Amino acid sequence: MTMVPQSGSAVSRGGGSTSSLYDVLELILDRGLVIDVFVRVSLVGIEILKIDARIVVASVDTYLRFAEACNRLDLEAGRKAPAQLPEVVGDMVEGGAHGKSKGALSGAVEAVTESLKGKSRDDEEPDEEEAEEEPAPRRRRPAARRTAHREKE
Amino acid sequence: MALYVYAIVAEDHPASVEDMSGVGSESAPVRVLASGPLRAVVSDISEEIRPKRRDLLIHQEVQERLMRGGPVLPLQFGYTAPDEATVEEVLRRDADGYLAQLERLDGCAEYHVRASQDEDRLLRRILRETPEAQELNERIRSGEEDPQLPLALGQLVAAQVRERQEDLAAGLVEALVPFARDHSVRRASGDDFLNFSLLVPDERKQDFLTAQTRLAQEVKDDVELRLVGPLPPYSFVQ
Repeated sequence: MTMVPQSGSAVSRGGGSTSSLYDVLELILDRGLVIDVFVRVSLVGIEILKIDARIVVASVDTYLRFAEACNRLDLEAGRKAPAQLPEVVGDMVEGGAHGKSKGALSGAVEAVTESLKGKSRDDEEPDEEEAEEEPAPRRRRPAARRTAHREKE
Repeated sequence: MALYVYAIVAEDHPASVEDMSGVGSESAPVRVLASGPLRAVVSDISEEIRPKRRDLLIHQEVQERLMRGGPVLPLQFGYTAPDEATVEEVLRRDADGYLAQLERLDGCAEYHVRASQDEDRLLRRILRETPEAQELNERIRSGEEDPQLPLALGQLVAAQVRERQEDLAAGLVEALVPFARDHSVRRASGDDFLNFSLLVPDERKQDFLTAQTRLAQEVKDDVELRLVGPLPPYSFVQ
């Protein structure tokens, strides 16, 4: 299995088959041959992934999150600020206020997964060894991706 | 003793997995159970496994090893049989169906494509190109406190996001489908707006990869396209 970086801002943490494992997690857990007489072992964490996949975009909560995300945008800065500045600011915002700087789309997913896990939003360092603690590794990617895109702007 | 089952292959598959260690904390050797024209790839398991990253990786590594030796029907992660007799019975009972699937998948691999967009950039663009949204945004930012305003703005923006991403997704699928023998589009989750698997025959692999790279390059200002593969055909077995 190889991960092919596409736009120069592809996943770079971990590396090799570990980082690509995140993108195939859903295939391994939710697809593949199912044989009815076999027993699926009780897998804590799988339910969380399924909920992640079921999130519906159209809800009042989503509308409000989108509105907030728009209100937050500094439209002028997006076009005119020097390339390096937004990156630095972005990093500080990410580090200082996790909840606020999350995107509207992923925010909804996170709220559900984290309430299921009974964890607070600030608990951002899951045990790397436990797959069930890593149901949504893409959570951390938006930050990296935003940063990468800002460099190009 | 219970068995963890990884995959089903045909009897002529080399299934050279003897050096591999299986899932679970005790990690028994991976081995092969033959029954009629089929073989199941299994390992003994005594305790209930939990989805540790190590186990998921082992499950995936066994599939990848098997892929090199011919077509494989990968099981979904986490399935166990109570004993060898049960596995052998399943292989006997459904032999025809499994053989037909193996034949259909012969010489093919799955490639999985996901696409996402930077949200801030997308929202900025929507605001620039949608005067009504821009006006609502300005009114909220200037301090108007009507609670309907954020709702109206959000609804407008959500519709734009959906419409734009549906168009993009359709275009990406259309560009790559010609290289596939079969394909599967599922609902995307998280930040992704496209979740797309293709079953690509080996003889089209190079053309597919070339096209995919070119496509990723073309859309790179708007879309982050991620490709994983070749993979065992998780999305194309029943």
